[in-house]
Amino acid sequence: MEVLQMLFKVLLFPGFLFLTSYAFAAEYIDRKLHARMQNRKGPKWYIPFADFFKLIGKQTIIHDDAHAGIIKAMPVVSLAGVATAFIYIPVVGSSAVFSFEGDIIIVLYFLSLPVLTQFLAGWYSRSLYATIGASRVITQMFAYEVPLFMCLLAPSLIANTWSVSGITQYYSEHPLYALINLPAFAVALITVQSKLSKAPFDAPEAETEIVSGPYVEYTGRPLAFFRMSADCEEVVLISLVSAIFLPFLSGNAVIDVILYFVKTLAILFVLTLMRTVTARLRVNQTVTLCWRYLVPAALLQMIVNLIVRGWLA
Amino acid sequence: MDLIRKASQWASGKSPWILHFNAGACNGCDIEVVDCVTPRYDLERFGVVKQGSPRHADVLICTGAVTLQTRDRLKQIYEQMPEPKRVIAVGTCACTGGVFDGCYCVTGGIDTVIPVDVYVPGCAVRPDEIISAVERALSLKTDGEGDKK
Repeated sequence: MEVLQMLFKVLLFPGFLFLTSYAFAAEYIDRKLHARMQNRKGPKWYIPFADFFKLIGKQTIIHDDAHAGIIKAMPVVSLAGVATAFIYIPVVGSSAVFSFEGDIIIVLYFLSLPVLTQFLAGWYSRSLYATIGASRVITQMFAYEVPLFMCLLAPSLIANTWSVSGITQYYSEHPLYALINLPAFAVALITVQSKLSKAPFDAPEAETEIVSGPYVEYTGRPLAFFRMSADCEEVVLISLVSAIFLPFLSGNAVIDVILYFVKTLAILFVLTLMRTVTARLRVNQTVTLCWRYLVPAALLQMIVNLIVRGWLA
Repeated sequence: MDLIRKASQWASGKSPWILHFNAGACNGCDIEVVDCVTPRYDLERFGVVKQGSPRHADVLICTGAVTLQTRDRLKQIYEQMPEPKRVIAVGTCACTGGVFDGCYCVTGGIDTVIPVDVYVPGCAVRPDEIISAVERALSLKTDGEGDKK
């Protein structure tokens, strides 16, 4: 019985099925909001599903120079990494499907996988655009990964635990302490946008310069799964940020699920707004922004949190 | 598996991704193609997304008479697109060669190089005609069912 319950949690809710459906819904909401902000009508609700199934049915071309094994494997690895990370993130209340002391490190590790798979996919496509895209992906990763890790780990200093569920639990009991983490929240929003390669950080996929970066040679099923994994990554990241920085829980399961949607959609709205109102940064500008402004901000947050922790103890 | 095939059949008409290729047009039709993605016409309502890579595209929108310079490139781009693919010739020049027909550097309409499914005459074409052509190109079930010249 326990095994069945676990399987239900991992595969259906709040596991893989929920993640993928919410990912498609989030893509729709993102595109619709983006369109409405540009005074357009925007797509219908089923368009992300249609995109996915259309790509599933299309021919898959892998040209002779490309590494067929890597091209086919990378989307699946990426999706698996993202889906595994989601298991450790609390959706209902403060308890994730699995959790242990230190699982935030595992989550951050799994969330680095999609970026590395993008790099490998671009590199082994053996196309000029894809290679440039791949090198931009990895350069940008070195820029945002450090501030992202620092600002996600800063709240754990006050909570005195390195598990996502533990952090949510702690802050839901002391909601006022979450106010201390507001600078880290801002840094997290910017770096999450950067991790998702969306404007203003869309240099790796810059359509007007390098067509679509690492995905340029991708067709059919591999492309479908890459797009799906990118959508899932967005949902996992906004769930992670909302679990750590927006710790408002009621204790009632139904209300908590509604709160989860409200919090994640609010973050999604901010990310969409950011992508609508900004223009693309060059890679060196992204690196400058991250290392010159975001890393010191995150470092300051860590020092403040250490002081607060000493004061609380 | 049957369900997935049915789903992808349903989806193939719902999310046409277009690729725009200028084979030697005067830029009049190209501006009308770009018009389609502006707020006034907003092709994304129908799921149409403008793609940069021929690998991602379902529909190739060609404008202009094919010049000798673009002939091989047009053929290459067409061959890079994954099946099932559709081609729309937009504008009088793309349909027949237009005023450039018989010129020393022009081979004629798009169909002298690659098979065309839907012809949209006009100089320049209106954006709403392009929208209906995209819709029509995707409703074609098999090859060779499109417009006859």
